[in-house]
Amino acid sequence: MKRRKFDVAAVPGNAARAVDDRFGVATPLRRLLNKVFPDHWSFLLGEIALFSFVVLLLTGVFLTFFYEPAMTEVIYNGSYAPLRGTPMSAAYASTLDISFDVRGGLIMRQMHHWAALLFMAAIVVHMLRVFFTGAFRKPRETNWIIGSLLFWVGFLAGFTGYSLPDDGLSGTGLRIASAIMLSIPVIGSWVTAAVFNGEFPGTIIISRFFIAHVLLIPGLLIALISVHLGLVFTQKHTQWPGPGRTNGNVVGERMFPRYAIKQGGFFMVVFGVIALMGGLFQINPVWLFGPYEAWVVSAASQPDWYVMFLDGSTRLMPDWEITIPIGEGYVIPPLFWPTVVLPGILVAISLFYPFMEARHLKDYRSHNLLQRPRDVPFRTGLGVMAVTFYVILTLSGANDVIADKFQISLNAMTWAGRIGLLLLPPLAYYVTYRICLGLQQHDREVLAHGVETGIIRRLPDGRFVEVHQPLSAGNGHGELDYAGWVVPKKMNRLGALGPAIRGFFYPIERPVEAPVSPGHPPVEPRPEREEVTSGETRP
Amino acid sequence: MTSDNDRRRGLLARLRGRPGAPGRGRRRLGAAVRLVAALMLAGGAYTVLAPGAAAQENPPLSSAAADGKALFDVSCVSCHGRNAQGVEGRGPSLIGVGAASVEFQVGSGRMPMARQEAQAARKPVVFTRDEIDQLAAYVQELGGGPVVPAGDNLHADGNVAIGGELYRINCSQCHAFSGGGGALSSGKYAPSLRPATDRQIYAAMLSGPQNMPVFGDNQITPEQKADIIAYIQQTLKDDGDPGGLFNLGRYGPSTEGVAIFLVGIVALVFASLWIAGKS
Amino acid sequence: MSSHTGQPTLPGGEPLDVNDPRLSRFDIVREGARRDDIEIVHYEPQVAPGTKAERRLVRTVAGFFLLTGLAATAFLAVYIWWPWEYEPGRGGDKLYTPLLGVTLGVALLAVGFGILTWGKKLLPKEVSIQDRHVGAPSSEDQRLTSETMAYMADELGVKRRPLLGVSLLAGLAPVAAVAAAPLVGGLISDPHKDNQLMTTGFTPRDGQKIRLVREDGRPIRPADISAGGQITVFPGVEHGVSNQYADSPTLLIHLREEDAVESRRNNERAGHDGYMWGNYAAYSKVCTHAGCPASLYEQQTNRLLCPCHQSQFLITDNAKPIFGPASRRLPQLPIEVDAEGYFVAKSDYTEAVGPDFWERP
Repeated sequence: MKRRKFDVAAVPGNAARAVDDRFGVATPLRRLLNKVFPDHWSFLLGEIALFSFVVLLLTGVFLTFFYEPAMTEVIYNGSYAPLRGTPMSAAYASTLDISFDVRGGLIMRQMHHWAALLFMAAIVVHMLRVFFTGAFRKPRETNWIIGSLLFWVGFLAGFTGYSLPDDGLSGTGLRIASAIMLSIPVIGSWVTAAVFNGEFPGTIIISRFFIAHVLLIPGLLIALISVHLGLVFTQKHTQWPGPGRTNGNVVGERMFPRYAIKQGGFFMVVFGVIALMGGLFQINPVWLFGPYEAWVVSAASQPDWYVMFLDGSTRLMPDWEITIPIGEGYVIPPLFWPTVVLPGILVAISLFYPFMEARHLKDYRSHNLLQRPRDVPFRTGLGVMAVTFYVILTLSGANDVIADKFQISLNAMTWAGRIGLLLLPPLAYYVTYRICLGLQQHDREVLAHGVETGIIRRLPDGRFVEVHQPLSAGNGHGELDYAGWVVPKKMNRLGALGPAIRGFFYPIERPVEAPVSPGHPPVEPRPEREEVTSGETRP
Repeated sequence: MTSDNDRRRGLLARLRGRPGAPGRGRRRLGAAVRLVAALMLAGGAYTVLAPGAAAQENPPLSSAAADGKALFDVSCVSCHGRNAQGVEGRGPSLIGVGAASVEFQVGSGRMPMARQEAQAARKPVVFTRDEIDQLAAYVQELGGGPVVPAGDNLHADGNVAIGGELYRINCSQCHAFSGGGGALSSGKYAPSLRPATDRQIYAAMLSGPQNMPVFGDNQITPEQKADIIAYIQQTLKDDGDPGGLFNLGRYGPSTEGVAIFLVGIVALVFASLWIAGKS
Repeated sequence: MSSHTGQPTLPGGEPLDVNDPRLSRFDIVREGARRDDIEIVHYEPQVAPGTKAERRLVRTVAGFFLLTGLAATAFLAVYIWWPWEYEPGRGGDKLYTPLLGVTLGVALLAVGFGILTWGKKLLPKEVSIQDRHVGAPSSEDQRLTSETMAYMADELGVKRRPLLGVSLLAGLAPVAAVAAAPLVGGLISDPHKDNQLMTTGFTPRDGQKIRLVREDGRPIRPADISAGGQITVFPGVEHGVSNQYADSPTLLIHLREEDAVESRRNNERAGHDGYMWGNYAAYSKVCTHAGCPASLYEQQTNRLLCPCHQSQFLITDNAKPIFGPASRRLPQLPIEVDAEGYFVAKSDYTEAVGPDFWERP
């Protein structure tokens, strides 16, 4: 029998046809492949969070193979000599085993922890980008809400994970968490007893946190992330204004192949940075902290950075206790305000900001073009005000370390934080507002009068003036409208004075080689300035 | 080790002064020697409890102590006064603080103080080892007090596991889990333990310098002190950091938070600038 | 979604016949994009095939990939052969994790930058414009959908037959409660059981006063603590030195004579007469603010600092909070010395220990 020749080249096509006949994926798949994404560095910040979440899942699964979520008391007998013979919980002992008796376990633990910090940091940085550019406006309010929830759910994921080793530091944090629950008026003691199954610390909290940390919270995170990404797909990404870009289109690259390949490469880079940090920077050395014992504490006890703002607000809170003289008397402890009320307000503000702003501006249209921060001074001001508030709280969360290392009085640090928290945010708002206005004005001036050429001309009457290169073809003033995008302010951005030297990120200016004859502004804008570009920072 | 002999002599002299002690000592010399040894190990706990009794003594100074007095009269007298009785508002009385206190304060450069401040800080040491021993002998003979046992290595047979447990109960609240120190109220602080020698740690526990509580030998026995010193020297200092080349100062989450922004976020933002850039 | 397929709104004219054999693959790709409302307006190879520049880039990318292989192999070698088991002192094991991190990090970064260079430098640059269809399908589609839903609701006839809706709700509400009940019921635990919020391990048992013991269980004599010293003590009961009695750790302080005098005077004023024994006072180590062990005792200023939120308590004034967020004194444990010369608690704490809560009397 004659062997049929096997056509290798036809295999993918045939396979694709076979799949499509059954599942009908060709059209949706093509649509997916043909999705245009605008390209700008700031659009990659969210990906850092996404990719570190993937690393968290990978390393986290590894850790669950060795971690034992139990508070039963054991006597440690592992490799780490300085703790041998010490009674401790099984959870802590297994964490030590991961660090010292599982080959490569320590780097996994450290990568997991660094990835968690990176996840939260990238969420915040991404959130700032979205906020300052107005990307949260209609139709993307839902995605903003989901993003904010991701921060708060990530916060819970971080705190539960931080508590799992049951070491001296995290146990102190857990103790504070119990005190926070206890401080809630009316139901506080019932909430605490329900969570800890009786008095702190009980014997069950670690197993409960474990199931929350490895199942409930990641499940929620995955669900939220999926919806978040799904919405980015269906709503299509926002873009910066620019030539050819309108509210009704997306200018950029199709998702495949180039964009997706870059994403894949970026994932590897994020993973690589986490691996480097996990190997080079020691994080959370639980073996130094010892097992959690209610009477053990360390100077400079802090939570991870994303919880530190709560620690800071607690430290700054004055000792205002409210007593309610009914019956035997009831108390609202000072702890309640900075740890329950403040985060509650922050959650509410962060969730509903898009609606508040829309209402304030009476702007209910859809926006797909981003705004430069300078063009919306009040929002930028509010954002900087919020960041200032957050940074002061976070710094106050570490004020004892700062006091110790910079030799400042601890009490002075507390007072500086209290006063700074009241004074600096409004000041930051005002300063930002003025800077925004100044930048706006400068843009308008350049549009009206042209770019400063650095050429000084002497007028017949003896005055000196600087020659400006108008941006428009005519010689008129104020002919160009501001388009919401970078206004060229240097001559070589107009293509004058020779080509720019290619730098790593930005073109580097080349000094003028030959003097240009005065009185004759030398340039015509180069024609390619008019072309549609892919949205990188240089116009 | 003449200075140690001097100290022993000083202690013996004090013991002889106590009613009852000589009689027993004459009958059973061996027992007395053992008692002296035990008391030496037990340091000045007793004298701290009863400094008044010791302050009454005024025996003639040994030669080392006389040298110490000469040094004292040059460098210390302006704050601590004649015969180390203290000057109100400038320096406390040194009667009964013991050689341990001198060894800690002068041996770590804290004394003589450069200026009056919230707390004396560790500085380059002013005196030589011999001079410090002479000063210590002088203060010891003035009014007794706790004494650090001989030898530079006081943790030779310390058990780091026991030491670690004691460290976490008694020391970590101020000096931190990592031994890096921490802030106290109003500008005071617990110093880092990294530059401290065995003898200085021992002396600090015995004498309770500045705001540090006293950990006498009845509370933490000499064996336990050796354990704690072993934990500090071997585990906290020598053991290194298995988790990486950089330990971020072991300040815990505060520097870790700084690192994730300065290293992680900065590196990745640069990467995204490059990825999205045109060049 | 389907309403706009095949009708490109951007310039492009009639849809092409994709089966036309004259079309190149790129033509088909461009036509496919058009049908998704994408106009590829600019498509330009960055490097010409066969040029020096291309060969150089290919070499760079290949170099990255080979570096990945090298680093990954190094990772495996380190993982398998490097001494990794913990040894005290600065052993080679301290380099195990850094070496793993560096090799893994270099491997991942190299593959990442290899892929990135490939995508960024070797693939053609393009600019495409996709239509967003803002507001385009809106009114008509919205009307069709809403009418369909209204129609379905009408068919069910809940409006005409209200009993159905009401009874369904009435039936489902308890089902929801059934779902919640086991969770709430299982978690709930009475915080006032055995008066646990108000008592500690120092409650006298069978008329027997509880001794103050050290962490190793030994009782404490007054002579054990030097003046200006402090010690953490626990109730001398079974498991007294464990987290089962997380509220019980107490700081026993031996005050200097003059401080003790002042402290006694303030004690009397606060109605805590006789809580001290001699110059010794015992205060709860659990901060009244957030429950951390407030144990940074400054023996000269007699302040007690809590390292978590910097509350400062003045020991000589009944541990009154003098700075920071704490609003309540540290509870004082009344102590005395029993017949054998050891410290005992005269009674339990006379107020709630630990962080504040609503119903604290």
